[in-house]
Amino acid sequence: MKKRNVKAVILATMAMAVLAGCSSSKNTETTTTSSEATSSAESKAEDGSSAESSSAGEDTGVAEIADGDFTVGIGQFAEHGSLDNCRIGFLQGLADEGIVEGKNLTVLYENAQADGGTASQIMDNFLAKKADLICAIATPIAQSAYSAVKKDGVPVIYTAVTDPVAAELANADGTPVGEITGTSDKLPVTQQLEMIRKVLPDAKTIGIMYSTSEINSVSAIEEYKEAAGDYGFEIVESGISSTADIPLAADNLVEKVDCITNLTDNTVVSSLPVILDKAGKKNIPVFGSEVEQVKIGCLAAMGLDYVSLGEQTGKMAAQVLKGEKKASEMNFEVIKEAAFYGNTKVAENLGITLPDELTESAAGLFDEISSTTK
Amino acid sequence: MSIVLGVMEEGLIYAIMALGVYITYKILDFPDLSVDGTFPLGAAVTVMLILKGVNPFLTLFLAFLTGAFAGCITGIIHVKFKVRDLLSGIIVMTALYSLNLRIAGKANVPIFSQETIFENAWLESMVSEALEPYLVALILLVIVVVCKILLDLYLNTRSGFLLRAAGDNDVLVTSLAKDKGMVKILGLAIANGFASLAGCVYCQQKGFFEISTGTGTMVIGLASVIIGMKLLKRFNSVKATTAVITGSVVYKACVSIAIAMGMAASDLKLITAVLFLVILVVSNRTEGKVKIAGKKGK
Repeated sequence: MKKRNVKAVILATMAMAVLAGCSSSKNTETTTTSSEATSSAESKAEDGSSAESSSAGEDTGVAEIADGDFTVGIGQFAEHGSLDNCRIGFLQGLADEGIVEGKNLTVLYENAQADGGTASQIMDNFLAKKADLICAIATPIAQSAYSAVKKDGVPVIYTAVTDPVAAELANADGTPVGEITGTSDKLPVTQQLEMIRKVLPDAKTIGIMYSTSEINSVSAIEEYKEAAGDYGFEIVESGISSTADIPLAADNLVEKVDCITNLTDNTVVSSLPVILDKAGKKNIPVFGSEVEQVKIGCLAAMGLDYVSLGEQTGKMAAQVLKGEKKASEMNFEVIKEAAFYGNTKVAENLGITLPDELTESAAGLFDEISSTTK
Repeated sequence: MSIVLGVMEEGLIYAIMALGVYITYKILDFPDLSVDGTFPLGAAVTVMLILKGVNPFLTLFLAFLTGAFAGCITGIIHVKFKVRDLLSGIIVMTALYSLNLRIAGKANVPIFSQETIFENAWLESMVSEALEPYLVALILLVIVVVCKILLDLYLNTRSGFLLRAAGDNDVLVTSLAKDKGMVKILGLAIANGFASLAGCVYCQQKGFFEISTGTGTMVIGLASVIIGMKLLKRFNSVKATTAVITGSVVYKACVSIAIAMGMAASDLKLITAVLFLVILVVSNRTEGKVKIAGKKGK
């Protein structure tokens, strides 16, 4: 029987090795392979000096390569268009500051697939590989990161955390609670309401669908309800607990409202095409909360561009990596100005004209509906 | 080193829950899905209590009791209302989702700034610097060992024997003039108490409650029980409870190895499934051979 057990373990190891082989070769396109990652992590382990020395010579050049060799662990909570954009933007932001992947930056990227247990194991793995900085994308994984690095003191830069204060990642005055800071993707609620009023002067009710399990959505709903009255709207909320509830909830919602607006709710956004389809049949406009949603068929959004949010985050991370500032010295940042995005094709389908004052200042106008979320 | 500690911490937390799954799945032969709800229930109750200023050590007991109560409900639905085992678990799990949100108030509640069993003034004054990195794992080990010993002791009492009999041969329980339904309810209560306790410890260690943490708890529990039992089957002296705890750590170690190998995290579940399948198939095949040999002997 002992033999059998040994055999089981060996077989299991082999199976894992085979699978590891597939995955790392797949990764080569985007990141360095795992063996390279480990070796550069090791070489980085003993020096902290290069980071300090680099700050002296690094003031001006944007594309100039910064001295030093950095390892950054990026932990993303779920597979999701907006969060992917954060990651792309983050790497772009680092590159703008002279920290370029494949040259002086090794990226360890892991995705927790929305599983809290995996999230904390990912963080342990980053720490074991001696990452110089951890980038956490979305609230739950930022919290996992914070609790994992509490003792090690590795700086954490988060992004796509709607309310860092409520998540106890920042104090009420915006200062960090430790070596952790980043950017918030708080929605520009009043600007969105103002925009909807301009597009639909006669609308009375706005439907919002959200998952009861997502704290960001719950707080956004509260904010919408508070502000809606000022613009003469009434909010009809529809809480769901899983993707499976969406078709029914959407059927129900389109009967009751004049238009629908979206939050950055992960579950709802992942199933946006379903909602768009149901709303489209009833000729009800759906407003988005960020650029990707407008691309796939929302009428318009006063929203975030997660790529630029990621870039802003990447620049903060660069300051920490170069040793210019400590994470604990920087307050978290919010996106400064919400931009207007519109989809003229959707407007045409709905028989709505987007007002000129909005389209003239638009950050992006799309004249087609793309079929994929990414 | 930190990765080994990480695995120990994760494994030990889930081991508490796996002890519960061991009772339902192995002893009672009851596929109990309510653990997917009672694990976050424990976490929800804990954050709520801690934010109200209750001593974190006390929350361990209160979380256990709340979980046990939820387990009773599953048992009552199954035994008294004659609902199928799987379905009664699903009913309780579904109801608990809403209840957990109500209890915690929100989907995500941080307790970073509060005292927990892992971080409090008393511990800081007691523990030396050198021990600090191992502190969490040590505390968890103590909790798990206490749970294990209590469960072992219980299983050797009169009531514990009845529990074991209820799974193997419920006619015997009836013939002893005992209500097998009550025994089942008791078993489910203990099992869900453990799941809830695990949730309590989990959120104190992580520093926050998140409604989604319960998803897949049952699967992790089952995997831990089966891996542990299969791996340590040949050692007769090893108690089943020890095997279950080992199984939980091994399971988490596998996940960790997969991550450390540079595996894309999106493939993690696949790896776990493959690993799980391999262990099961290998041990089943040899078991099959033994059975055939036995038949020939006849």
